Amino acid sequence: MSYLSSRLRLHFAGKFQASVSTVNNDVKHFDNATFKPSYQERQDKLHMNGWWNPDGDGVWRLLGCDITAAYNADGTKPATTDAIYQCSVADSDDSAPAKIVDLDPEQQMVSTIFGLQVRIADGHGNTLMRGFFDPGPFTELWLKIVGGGGDLAMGAMWQSVVTATEWGDLSNSPFLQDLKAAADANTGLLSMKFNVDCYSMTWPTTGASAESPPGSQFCRGRIVGTLGPASAAEPKHFILGRQLMIPEAATQNLNPYINYCAAVVDETASVVRLDLGNALQINPDGTQVDNGTLTLSVIQGSTPVALGTIPYTQPGWYQATAGVVEVPVTAAQLAIIADNPLSLALSGYPDSPTAEPQGGLYVRADLFVFRMSPGDTQAVTFYATAYGQPYTSQEITFDYNTNGLQAGPTDPDVGTPTSALTFPASITTDTVAGTATLTLTAANPGNPRHYIDGQVYGVGYGLANQGALYPSNIWNFVSVLVFDTFVPDNPITWYGSMQPIFQQYANLYPVMARFVDLGDYLQVVGYAQMLQLAFSLPEEDPNAMPVTRDLSPAKRKAILEWLQNPLEGTPPATPKALETTVPAAPTEEALSKGGKAAAFSKRLAFQKP
Amino acid sequence: MILLKSNLVESLETGGKPAVLHALQQAIQLEHATIPPYLYAMYSLGQQTDNAAVADIIGSIVAEEMLHMTLACNVLNAIGGHPVIDTPAFTPDYPGPLPGGVESGLIVNLAPFSLDVVKNVFMEIEEPQDPNDYPETATLLEANGQAGVTIGQFYDEIKKQLIALGEDAFTGDPARQVQPPFPEGGIVTDLASALEAIDIIIDQGEGTGTTPLAGEDGELAHYYKFAEIYYGHALIKNPNAKPTDPPDQQYYYGGAPITYNASEIAQIPTNPKAADYPSGSAQRHAMDNFNYTYTSLLKGLHDLFNGQPDTFRRTLGAMMSLRQQALDMMAGTNLPGPIGPSFEYQPVNPA
Repeated sequence: MSYLSSRLRLHFAGKFQASVSTVNNDVKHFDNATFKPSYQERQDKLHMNGWWNPDGDGVWRLLGCDITAAYNADGTKPATTDAIYQCSVADSDDSAPAKIVDLDPEQQMVSTIFGLQVRIADGHGNTLMRGFFDPGPFTELWLKIVGGGGDLAMGAMWQSVVTATEWGDLSNSPFLQDLKAAADANTGLLSMKFNVDCYSMTWPTTGASAESPPGSQFCRGRIVGTLGPASAAEPKHFILGRQLMIPEAATQNLNPYINYCAAVVDETASVVRLDLGNALQINPDGTQVDNGTLTLSVIQGSTPVALGTIPYTQPGWYQATAGVVEVPVTAAQLAIIADNPLSLALSGYPDSPTAEPQGGLYVRADLFVFRMSPGDTQAVTFYATAYGQPYTSQEITFDYNTNGLQAGPTDPDVGTPTSALTFPASITTDTVAGTATLTLTAANPGNPRHYIDGQVYGVGYGLANQGALYPSNIWNFVSVLVFDTFVPDNPITWYGSMQPIFQQYANLYPVMARFVDLGDYLQVVGYAQMLQLAFSLPEEDPNAMPVTRDLSPAKRKAILEWLQNPLEGTPPATPKALETTVPAAPTEEALSKGGKAAAFSKRLAFQKP
Repeated sequence: MILLKSNLVESLETGGKPAVLHALQQAIQLEHATIPPYLYAMYSLGQQTDNAAVADIIGSIVAEEMLHMTLACNVLNAIGGHPVIDTPAFTPDYPGPLPGGVESGLIVNLAPFSLDVVKNVFMEIEEPQDPNDYPETATLLEANGQAGVTIGQFYDEIKKQLIALGEDAFTGDPARQVQPPFPEGGIVTDLASALEAIDIIIDQGEGTGTTPLAGEDGELAHYYKFAEIYYGHALIKNPNAKPTDPPDQQYYYGGAPITYNASEIAQIPTNPKAADYPSGSAQRHAMDNFNYTYTSLLKGLHDLFNGQPDTFRRTLGAMMSLRQQALDMMAGTNLPGPIGPSFEYQPVNPA
């Protein structure tokens, strides 16, 4: 079960905050030798500096996410007296807020949330359910807002599981009792998906005092989501079901009328259940763009047979449904749907449907972002399906593919050497579930990017019999950061091997100066106890250092060892000469965008053939 | 000096164990209530500035107030009580008297750092019953003559009643207690360790009467640390004093200068409230986030002091988050201008 395979579910709508830190958005800022204090300042009309939020602390929050709807397992709604209607979906109430971080400055399109607690809370904030969100990246970024700009224009989604560890007094909510029973039957697992949009990069204006002044939404955006049961047998990060692909032409600029989306055919309930939460265009004010009638069809031969329409333009539809809708189908239609493509089309754009390809073939890695050290192996679970059914005994092929990464023309190259990340050319799905496990093996990249640790890789994949032109999801590739081998000096000293690490952290994450100047030996030593604590936390912990989760385990180990006995060592005889290279002036377009939109356009502009 | 309501002591004298439990809960609230005003002033001094020396002094006092809160919780746990920290009533309302304080007594504010605040609020809070009047002190404010007891008298009465209750009172599970950062001690298992814990609280806050030092660790009692800031010099031993000279001749405020740069102090309001800022404004969002984290910290501390000592790291993380948020607010980071946090109980973080 996932939130989409069961009718038992709740929807929520509210705001989120993602106070991302942006000094590290430019890979060149990792170079301690050329780092300038201005890189910690906010960008202006002429200079990119530290991009648009150098003071970002990486915090991720759920804000005022009211529960807008709930459904019982039979598809009915809980009684109006059910306490669920007075509840909200909230984050941690007993620890620091969660963090959101990029994998690497050259792969900013898989930002992952770490340390997120998800709670169902009553109107007073009392916990009725507490769970822990499995860290996972966003995906399916697209230009969701028509007529918007920058990241404001973009939408994306997260899907993961929440392991419930605590339930409160559920006596006033039969719905939550059912949800708990469903979770308990699956080791406490719940399935969560949320869609984000309307993210604001507009700075608060000095002196602004009016209500909702410009910039009051800085680093905040809109969120809607769904929470339902999960099972360990299903993937954590995507829907095992029917996968609708955007038209080929829309893949270049991420501008489909209907984005990638998934559906589940529920034969018991005789419905097709779709999640359109990250799939439909909106206006800058958040309302749905009226692109005409939205019809779900099944393509029989080459003819669409309409199954039903979706009332997506009704006021409040998005908040009340989080985009999850059911289209009733007959037994006869179910039979046709079983082995024919589903298609969604808008009457305003009938020639640009988002649809399953003929054959309905799909393959996806469940979790698809990894951080590895030399010598590590990493198992990656793949699921192959045909029209949502297990696609058994099929070959999945792999290749090195950096198209999805974002190295600019003057940035260090990505994906080399390939010897530092190896994997078989193909694997075969099993005979029952259509699953297969890829083993990634990491070796020492040998510091190919010089001033930044390790190397970032993209691993492309597809089904052998899909063929190169078969419609697929452009976000479906595996991103891997492989750290360099690191051997500290012996004994470990500040000047020997610690200073460059701490200095880089201090440069890239100015918020740390709220506690200690990490570039200053005496301050670091004075703060050793706290640093020891923070560096020893698991990366799932909201307080783990580094916040950016981009420190190799080898360096972390050396830091912890050094903090036990923080020797200073000998300063270098002559300070390293500063390079005088002047960074290229940013384009006006880059300055106007800055965030994910800018990162993606970099990808488009500079991707290799 | 701070005067607590006399009935706190009176009810202790006659109320038996329930009254002692109540008094220790009151003590926990009192120790906590001093922390937001101290933090507010400390954070207003900025970070990585010329004001680090002053901020460090206040920070060392905050750390000891946290320790006192821990010790009071340990004593309460030791006699079978349960600290209550995660309720709206636990958080003081600023401006106002400290918990248990006489209504017409000292009013405590959340205010940016100033010598006036140090002298007329912080030194008042920490003033011993009979402070040593070291040279170069200004005339200290007289107690206002109202009926009341000092914090020291309050703790003395708790000690007296613990002695009266005897060893049989120590029925609590020691596993519910939190180990303070001492080499040894701090966990309360019997009368002797309870009295020792309370003596630490009294000594660190008020000193021992004959010396400004707080017990054996050579640190100054809080009152004298604040006085150092006020007089702008470290309190040092008077080399000319003979052992037979009176206590207030043994030290003087003539040590290393303790200075600050007023221009670096954050220009923030006194006694802010989240409601001062319109719903939907950037300032309100920052206030709400801070108060939600503050409330999360209180909930975490509640767990910590109620049998979940392994939540220590979690609460420490929340404290670090609060520090950063407060400093960002006072620096006006991503805000139309600097503001200060209000330390209000807020268990829901609105959109």
